[in-house]
Amino acid sequence: MILDLHNHSVASDDARAKVENYCQWIQRRELPLDGFVLSEHRQFDSVSDYRDLEDQFGLVILKASEVETEYGHVLVFGVNDDLQASFDFSSVKLSLETVLSEAERCGAIAVPCHPGRPRVGMSAHFEQLGPVDGVTVIETLNGGSRGRENDIAIELAEQRGYKGIGGSDAHIVSHIGRCATKIEREIRSIEDLVGALKEGDCEAVSYQ
Amino acid sequence: MAVDRYEDVEFGEELPEFTPDISMPKVVQFTQAAQMNFGRFTDHDEARKSGLPGAIVPGIMSQGILAALIHRWAPTAQIQKIDTVFRAPLVVDSAPTCRGVVTDMDDESRIVEIDLTLCNEAGETRVLGTALVRL
Repeated sequence: MILDLHNHSVASDDARAKVENYCQWIQRRELPLDGFVLSEHRQFDSVSDYRDLEDQFGLVILKASEVETEYGHVLVFGVNDDLQASFDFSSVKLSLETVLSEAERCGAIAVPCHPGRPRVGMSAHFEQLGPVDGVTVIETLNGGSRGRENDIAIELAEQRGYKGIGGSDAHIVSHIGRCATKIEREIRSIEDLVGALKEGDCEAVSYQ
Repeated sequence: MAVDRYEDVEFGEELPEFTPDISMPKVVQFTQAAQMNFGRFTDHDEARKSGLPGAIVPGIMSQGILAALIHRWAPTAQIQKIDTVFRAPLVVDSAPTCRGVVTDMDDESRIVEIDLTLCNEAGETRVLGTALVRL
């Protein structure tokens, strides 16, 4: 399956896309996506139910979160009540170590995103803060990356043995499907996705 | 061909892209008219001294360029709202591409939503946004 693992909807403060329009766009443009993940900034949307859209468009629509740590931004897949109670998703000063360990404890997985990006990417903070233990997967292809940001992420994954995922980081409708993740197994739920990522069943792909 | 009726528009339709003139003389002309005579817009050396990659196009000029894209496509369209996010600086004297695509349509209000982008020569999005346009 091919899933775009990093997108934002109007629920994020800097995004303008409605979820239904993402679906329409994928269908109209015949994008090779089987589904996508909504990873809203500094929050988890536990309310919205996209089952009707999934049925209407034949897509898998999953929900995650993008939180902010001292090492930059981190995608969290598999958010549940326990994890939501363990730290403040709205904070912009979370500890990456805490996010990684609490995600692991709660059956989720934390994935540093756009790690090659200045200021909000993990590698920019290694010199000052040192390396991080506990990372197994990073976002190696981000659709919003500029310059060498994705190259830096790929090099980082190669050097440290991380698996890589891809996501468009779409904030407007027409940006979905720029990057995605190929997963060998069938993904029908966020638990399926977390299992695949934990076992390294993921490969970043670019359509840019 | 210019569009002037809602019925002529389709979801996913691309507006004709263009390369706006953001040469230094044009930006100087804009900043003078807008009374925004700051070195970061009109002097590459001064802008670089403050850490910028060169003189940058004022945000409201970028927004005007995006609005112009809409009116080149549909001269009689009424722009109800235009909303921009400035991802990275757009450098004066570069040759960006301005694009738009229809991403939502409301038959009742006859308003279309358009994704808007200004990308640099490397294809990197510098400015993005959306507009609500009544036809």
